[in-house]
Parts: sequence; structure tokens; C-alpha cells
Amino acid sequence: MNIIVCVKQTVDLQQVRVRKETREPVFDNVPLTIGNIDKNALEEAVRIREKVGGKVIAVSAGSEQLADTIKEALAMGADEAILVVSPEFEGADSGVAAAALAKAIGRVEDYSLILLGEGSADNYSGQVGPRLAEILGLPQVTYVSSLEVENDTIKAVRNLDDCFENVEVGTPAVVSVVSEINEPRIPSVTQILKAGKKPKEVFKPEDLGIEITRSIDTLSNLAPEQDRKRILFQEGADKDVASLAAALEAEGLVRR
Amino acid sequence: MDFKLTKEQELIQKAAKEFAEKSLMPIADKIAEDNKVPPEIIEEMADLGFLGIQFPEEYGGTGAGYTCYPLVLEQIARAASGVAMVLSVNALGASAIYAFGTPEQKEKYLPECCTGKKLASFAFTEPATGSDPKQITTTAVQDGDYYVINGTKRFISLADLDGPIVIFAKDNETGKPTAFIVEKNCPGYSTSEQWNKIGNKGGSLVDVYLKDVRVPAANLLGPKGNGYGVLQYGIAFGKVGVCSSTLGGMQAALELSIKYAKEKAHRDGTIAKFPTIQVAIAKIAEKVEAARWLTYRLGYLAENMKDPRAFAKEAALTKAFVTEAGVDVSRLAMGIHGSYGLMDDYKVSTIYRDMIIGEQIEGVNDMQRMITAGSLLA
Repeated sequence: MNIIVCVKQTVDLQQVRVRKETREPVFDNVPLTIGNIDKNALEEAVRIREKVGGKVIAVSAGSEQLADTIKEALAMGADEAILVVSPEFEGADSGVAAAALAKAIGRVEDYSLILLGEGSADNYSGQVGPRLAEILGLPQVTYVSSLEVENDTIKAVRNLDDCFENVEVGTPAVVSVVSEINEPRIPSVTQILKAGKKPKEVFKPEDLGIEITRSIDTLSNLAPEQDRKRILFQEGADKDVASLAAALEAEGLVRR
Repeated sequence: MDFKLTKEQELIQKAAKEFAEKSLMPIADKIAEDNKVPPEIIEEMADLGFLGIQFPEEYGGTGAGYTCYPLVLEQIARAASGVAMVLSVNALGASAIYAFGTPEQKEKYLPECCTGKKLASFAFTEPATGSDPKQITTTAVQDGDYYVINGTKRFISLADLDGPIVIFAKDNETGKPTAFIVEKNCPGYSTSEQWNKIGNKGGSLVDVYLKDVRVPAANLLGPKGNGYGVLQYGIAFGKVGVCSSTLGGMQAALELSIKYAKEKAHRDGTIAKFPTIQVAIAKIAEKVEAARWLTYRLGYLAENMKDPRAFAKEAALTKAFVTEAGVDVSRLAMGIHGSYGLMDDYKVSTIYRDMIIGEQIEGVNDMQRMITAGSLLA
């Protein structure tokens, strides 16, 4: 069974600082990586391959550094990669990403499953999976926290926050996963060193007939304000507990 | 000149960091308390390729080379210095075998050290001498195809665990130190109770008693009478480990100091507003950065060594600077923490005890400076 995993190149969010004065994120010297939930999708694909065989193909669209960044996915177990590379993908919206991924996936003749994270690490729109399914005309299952593949059937559990939904779907299908589906493996040194030698096809958008148009302008990208209210309750425990509860309730922080 | 890691190096560093944060940090206190690294941690490090990172694949390593070794060890030491010590000691013994061993010796001993099935040790120090090779009293007397070794070795890490140990003894023919590969716990080999060292807790430190230990002549490491060469250049590789472990502790001290300064309240702010605290943090950062690039450079030189003497000088210079900077950093970090830093409950106190060890081990720093000056003034 061949499995396609869509991954996105983002800055390593753990290393992004926020400039206090302007609330703007500082991206200087922050290394690029693939998104955390993408790694869950990749891990799931590798586990399925380990059970049923086949290939795991990482597919991605991004800026020039992608050919290097994708080594992380290859080290984690992807067998090969198909990339669409252009500086124009920097800050591109979900529609552009889905269209580009669909074209890249078109290069693969035979696949049973397309896996991706429920949302990207940076924009987190959650749209790429559903858009991709629409473009390719495939069934989609989103927010999957558990997955089983038996012959041509996929059995999935969807985590819908207040309930779980069991779903069955035939292959091929698009499945987006949530982070609790698994714990991604840490790649070994040997796998990291072999990653660069795995097969990789790199295309420019024009090679695949991809047109990059922008429908969204980003006006600003700021960290949320985090001012503390600094309310002190100092009238003794008897009164303070009630005052604290009332204050929390007034802020809408206490719900039943 | 490019001070950037390659993507592969960056990923190896990241893998080590992730392993250290997920698998080591939650149990770091327990490792220090038990003075023992759980076998499953050794196994995980072996699976990830950390134990054999610097050795070629044909000997069970990864082929990543010595350049990548500091990247991994730094991250492990940042989380648990005792685990870094185990890795570093194993690498010291294995590096001596790799540098001076015959192909048969390498094939026999390196794979088991790279996979963590056995752990290597390195034994030069004796009760009466630490660094002076002329003073060693352990003897090796040839008896047909064997050497019979007698003597005592002091402060030897992991010497009670199975695996190869590089032992230095004066052989009866040359009267000079000669290196041998001995299998730990073989007949005639025994160890003392554990020494209770003040830091880097995670592995045993014992004395080794050698009573009529019979070693095949095939286990001679390097030429007869060349023990000093094996010691000097073998231990130069070991210094990459000491420096990398120290660097990890220094980085942890920097992070703890920044966190503490930003959290410790004073009136309507935190102590980070005080220029004295700012100066201390800047000084720590300067030393960490200098130590980092000297250490990474030493890893590179170990991998690309052309002249062993020149490498020994660079290793000496780096070891003296980095371990001294480690002590400085730990004291500065203690100062930032005030009285809290004196409490075992604060990790900065552990780092202080770890750092103080670096200046003394694998050749005291004054000896390092003799090596450096000797080379410069020759």
C-alpha cells in the first residue's frame, strides 16, 4: 500500500521569540522544520507501512530550503519525496497549497491513502485536507485519533472534542489526523544520514502547471497581548475565596 | 568560513535534544540519586546511534564522525550529566581502540561498545600517580603468548561493568608504559566499592585490582612501550567528551539563570532589571558561546586529524579553557540564584558540583597548559 503524506515547511516554533515592544515574532536564524502534526501523520503512515508494506511518499510545496527541510521527513521514515519549490509559496494560503499538493500527488500513479495533519503548525487553517479531497474527488475523514487499514477499507475514529465518531471509508481517501494519534519517533543518526540519499523529485510550479495566486493579504501577524490584571484579594481567606470566584466568573473563566 | 551546521548535523542535534528532553529530563534526579543509568536508556541511546556516533559503520557505528559527537553529548549533558559521563567514558575507551587497535581488535571490541551491549573503560591513574606516565607501577610480564598484569588502578569509571578496558602497565621488556585491552571482570580482575564523587552522578567510579591477570599478547594496544602515545592521543579524544559534557552543563546554567532572573520577583518587577544580574547573564552567555565553538572545533579536528601532536595541543587548550569557563559559569549562575542556588532543590547547585569535576579529570588543567605551552615554545 502506497501512502502519501503531505507535510509543510515552517519555522521551528519552539525557537521563535516575540519582540516585546511590537509583539512581532522574530524569525532571524530560526531553523526550518516540518510541522508537528505533520509528523504525527508521517508516523502513522510509517506504522501502516511497517504492517502492510508499500511505500511512504512525502509531498510538499514550499520555498527553496524545502529540499533540505524534507530530509527530516525522509529521516523519520518516508521512502521518497515529491516537492514543488518556489519562493512564491512563502505565506501562500490554503487554496494555493492544496492546488499545488494535488498536482504533485498527480505524479503518483498508485496510492491508497493521503495523510496530513489536521492543521499546519503556523497558520492552522485546517483547510488543506478538505480542499485537497475536493480537488482530487476523494472521500475525506478529518480529526482522526485512531486509524486502522484493512485491505481496501480504512477504519478511523474521529475526535470531535465532545464525542468520538467511528467511520469506515474505502480507499483511496484523504485522512487528517490529530496529534494524539501517536508519538512520532525520533530519527536515528543512521536514518538522518541516509535521508539525503533517498529519491526526491523536485519541480517548479510551472513544471506541473501550478499557478500561484493570492486571495489573502496578511495585514499583521502579532502575538496576543498578555497583560496581567494584577488583582489582589487581601481581605482574609473567608472573603477572598468568594471574591476570587466572583472575579473569575465575571471574566467568563468559570463554566459548568 | 561557515559557522552553520549542515541539515544533517542540525537534525542529529535536534534528535539528541528531543531524546534528552523526553527520556532524560523526567528521570535526571533519579539517575543522580541511584548513580545508575537505567539499561533501557543505554539501549535507546544505542538505537538512536549515539553510542557509536563517531565510529564507522563497519565497526557498528553510524559514520557520522567526531564532528557530530559534541552536538549529541552537549544535549545529553544539558539534561543529565551522569548519562553524558557514561557516553563519554565509553567513547574514550572505544576511541583508543579505534585509533590504535588492529583491525581484529576493532572488529572484536567496537561493535559491542557502539551497541551498548558492553561499555568500555580507560585506566591510567594509579593511587600514586594521576598524569605522570613514569610513575605507574602496574606491571606486565610476558609469559609465552600472554602477558601477566599486576597492579592497581584508581578512579576508573564504569570499570565494574562488562566490556573492554584499556589498561596501562610497564612491560618487562621495554620498562615503559604499554597499553593493553583487558576484558573487565576476567579472572584476576576485581574492583573496589564505589567512590562517591560529588557530581556527574550516573555511573560507577571504582578502583581496579589486577592480580595475575593473563592477557593474550594479541591484546597489546599499539606498539610495545608506546603506552604514552596511546595515553596522550587517546585521552585527547576523551577531551572532546569532557568539553562537550561541560558545554551541556553550561548551557543548562544559562537557561536556568535567565529563567530565574525573569521569575524572581523584586518589588514591582523581577531581578532581571538589575544591571548586576544582566552583567552576570551576559558573562555566562559569552563563556557558553566561546566554549561551544571551541568544542565544536575540537570535534571537527578529531575527525580531520592530520598530526596527532597538533591535535593533542588543541585538545589540551580547549579542555583547559572550556572546563575553567564551566566553573566560572556555574559560579555566576549560583550568584544569580542567591541563597536558593545553595539548595539541592535547585538544579544550578548540581551543575556547580558537575563543573568542578571537569578541571580535574582527564589531565588537570595545569597539565593541559604544559602541553599547550610545550607545543608553542618548542
